[in-house]
Amino acid sequence: MDKRLTLEEAVDSIPSGATVAIGGSSLSRKPMALVRAIARSSVRDLRLVVDVGGPDVDLLIGAHKVREVIYAYVGFELMGLAPHFRRARQTGSIAFEEWTEYTVMAGLDASVKRVPFLPTHAGLATDVLGVNHSFRRIDDPFGGGALVAVPAIEPDVALIHVNVADRQGNGVILGDGHVDELLAKAAKRTFMSAEWIADGAELQGFGRNVRILRVYVAGVIEAPWGAHFTGCAPYYRADLAHVRRYLEAATDEAAFTSYMERFVAVDEGERLRNLGGVEDLVERLRV
Amino acid sequence: MTYTTDELMISAMARGLSGEVLVCSVTAMGALAAHLAKRTHAPDLALLATPESGMEVVPMPTLTLGEFLTTNQQGIALSMEDVFDAIFTDHFRIWINPAQVDRLGNANISNIGPWERPRVALVGSRGIPEDTSHLSEVLYYLSSHNRRSLVEKVDFRSGAGYGEERQADLGAHGRPSTLVTDLGVFGWNERGDFEVRSLHPGVSPETVGERTGFVVEIPAEVATTPVPTEEELAIIREADPLEMRKVEFAPPSEAAERLVALYERERQAFHVAQEQQRHHAR
Repeated sequence: MDKRLTLEEAVDSIPSGATVAIGGSSLSRKPMALVRAIARSSVRDLRLVVDVGGPDVDLLIGAHKVREVIYAYVGFELMGLAPHFRRARQTGSIAFEEWTEYTVMAGLDASVKRVPFLPTHAGLATDVLGVNHSFRRIDDPFGGGALVAVPAIEPDVALIHVNVADRQGNGVILGDGHVDELLAKAAKRTFMSAEWIADGAELQGFGRNVRILRVYVAGVIEAPWGAHFTGCAPYYRADLAHVRRYLEAATDEAAFTSYMERFVAVDEGERLRNLGGVEDLVERLRV
Repeated sequence: MTYTTDELMISAMARGLSGEVLVCSVTAMGALAAHLAKRTHAPDLALLATPESGMEVVPMPTLTLGEFLTTNQQGIALSMEDVFDAIFTDHFRIWINPAQVDRLGNANISNIGPWERPRVALVGSRGIPEDTSHLSEVLYYLSSHNRRSLVEKVDFRSGAGYGEERQADLGAHGRPSTLVTDLGVFGWNERGDFEVRSLHPGVSPETVGERTGFVVEIPAEVATTPVPTEEELAIIREADPLEMRKVEFAPPSEAAERLVALYERERQAFHVAQEQQRHHAR
């Protein structure tokens, strides 16, 4: 089955209020073209799930698309804190639930395995257990002491970006995998953007780097530079100069409005031109 | 040879690593400490170039080229499952730099002020709860030892320190062991008492007292942190010629700008190194 569609077709099928899980990790391989398409759309009140979030979560909060965020981390690494996330946390304008890196994986894995929860020791004797109202503290039924029961996370939709995909929805990840395979398996529907679309034989040439299986994928979108301004190893690095530009714009309402008009409200082709063109990106970001 | 505080800290941090364990690189300071340890007393360390992959590459102290080193140097690719399995089985070490550490060794990277309505929302607990419930050694460092970073009680426990709750729920698993700051090497004994192990050269007990948010007992005879040897300094400087390690000591307002500049220079340096490699290969 040919599952190719446009960014808009994928996003228009996401109902307001949906639980949307986003792959990648802080400044690495975030499905930013899909995130931008959501920011442009009429969808709203999303419940976001991220393990390690960054520009994805921050941009969608800034675009007023989010009612709740489930996260282990949201930030821009050494570049700074996430401005919209930070403001929303400090003013309480939307809801948040703090998880941890493994517990997000365990929640997704529980969903994949069709069990209500998975147990772990992670979180015991920390304040995460106090502020996370989804976790339950339980006793080991075999007599071994306290555990945290991590409930299944069941995303309605997962969004991931990969290096290469075929039309049927098999996906190649050449860099770090993050939690994208788990997301694709746990979500009811997965939309996968890719730097380029290969035919089946060409895709199978990637051997063990084919990490996303088509049975889990509902739609495939060709989106060159679709992770920008995060990186997509080994094709291009995160664009730290643009990260800085984003962080500066996000501290000021007027500046953010003009940032959004120039780099988010436009289609991906126009966005690349507004960035100074593909040649400049290649020059600065190819390793 | 003269040295700087970052180099002294890296040398002290390197001594905290030993054996055959995965060492994850999230910061330049942590990456360099692991590299130095491997080049000196701990040759069996398995260093990662990123938080989750690139085992057995020649590390460059960076958060950004790691994945590219995995490809270019054919580093061993790991998965997130591999990383957490190594944490749970105690085959893993990491130097963590929290925003706050307290007297009992609790660590905070989540928020300043109450979690529900923080004065400053930081980033979220990330993987620290996993480390502090499983590893037999939990290693912290602070680039600036002051009353805001070393406090009586953290605003939020992202990482579990000592105390009754930890004793009942986790026992010894994941107990903090060592804290290296710009003033000295500290740690906790088996009972969870904060202790001074050494002060850096030129640091007085009074300075530590003034810059710590709780009362520190400093023994009359306290050791001085060994200064880095010429060999150690050479290893650090060769691995980090662009001085990425110093970005962590810059004020946040300058750190981003400096990182952007270093990022581009690092890419260029990497290309030159690759060119030379190709030349040698011919």
